[in-house]
Amino acid sequence: MDESQLIARVRAGDSAAERALYDAHVDRVYRLAFRLAGDDALAQDFTQETFIRAFDRLGSFRGDAAFSTWLHTITTTVVLNGLRKVKRFRQREADIDDAHEIGVVQRHAEPDLKARLKQAIDDLPEGYRTVFLMHDVEGYTHEEIGVALGVETGTSKAQLSRARAKLRVALSDFAGEWVK
Amino acid sequence: MMDQHEDPKFEQWLKDAAKSYHSPVPTPSEEMWKRIETARRSKRVIELRPWMRWVVAAAAVLILGIGIGRWSANQASAPAATSTAPAGTQVADEIDSLANVAYQVAATQYLSRTEAFLTSFRADANRSANTARLARQARELLATTQLMLDSPAADNPRLRSLLEDLELVLMQISLLNPVQDGHDRDLITQGMNQTNVLPKLRSAIPAGPVPVRRTEGAL
Repeated sequence: MDESQLIARVRAGDSAAERALYDAHVDRVYRLAFRLAGDDALAQDFTQETFIRAFDRLGSFRGDAAFSTWLHTITTTVVLNGLRKVKRFRQREADIDDAHEIGVVQRHAEPDLKARLKQAIDDLPEGYRTVFLMHDVEGYTHEEIGVALGVETGTSKAQLSRARAKLRVALSDFAGEWVK
Repeated sequence: MMDQHEDPKFEQWLKDAAKSYHSPVPTPSEEMWKRIETARRSKRVIELRPWMRWVVAAAAVLILGIGIGRWSANQASAPAATSTAPAGTQVADEIDSLANVAYQVAATQYLSRTEAFLTSFRADANRSANTARLARQARELLATTQLMLDSPAADNPRLRSLLEDLELVLMQISLLNPVQDGHDRDLITQGMNQTNVLPKLRSAIPAGPVPVRRTEGAL
């Protein structure tokens, strides 16, 4: 059975078809959610929310693009909104904590490549980071990213280029690793 | 022609190195599917959509206008108390109905705040977050939960059931012991997973952004 038939059966209320559609896409949705969130509990929450919304709104899926593209649009919306919400919440609490910790000097050990890379990716602006992770790490095309994020393909390419440039500067101490 | 910023060696090295960034664990698909099914079975508790708030506001103005108009007309033409009673009763009913809607709006905003708190709590469950701070936030939300339970918003049986689940979770978090909170947090998180409280909470919140702090003091 092809995907359009499966979708038609889901629309008709076939729960087995719902499960089949879920099984076909859950890995990629969860992977993307995990890459962006970096946390299993959050990635699970975002994946669940993505499928709940997708099933609720399947009636609005017209089939102009692939179902996976439509689903990844929902995924990125859910994940980015969710991360913003959690970030705002944590920031507010951090501000309160910081008010009680003025004068405390924190010492950090010299980070290794993995830690530096993580920090450099975390420090990227949200748009750059999302495009970089989707393209270079998860293998999405610029066309898929453009649809998922609601931007032009050229914007996706430009953001990737800027993300790489920023990472190159941030990781310049490790230049020997890639020129050898 | 190669772009001046392009460096295939760097790009390949970066791609390889970045594979370790937030490297996903195996997909817990069965676990997630169960929660999705449960959340989808529990129908939305509150059907109030963002656009409906505008309708509510417009209706409030209209009802107020009608009420004032009727009251003025009755004052001018028939001062007898009995003649104003039906119109007054109708306006009072309509205002009561609006008050219920207002409680539902407040409930939606409260649920969004609680969702943000519990999502953050679960995500931080394995980290050494500030226990005292979590307990304080839980107490604040618990107080609002108990007010919600006593309000007309809790007339909805599904919302009441959700509020009771939330009351239990928030009470547990508010009583967290800073000395042995790791074990307690695990138990609370397990309880949250078993009762599916987060998916139920999310399915109760209408789609669309809801300001997290706006409801403080609304109830």
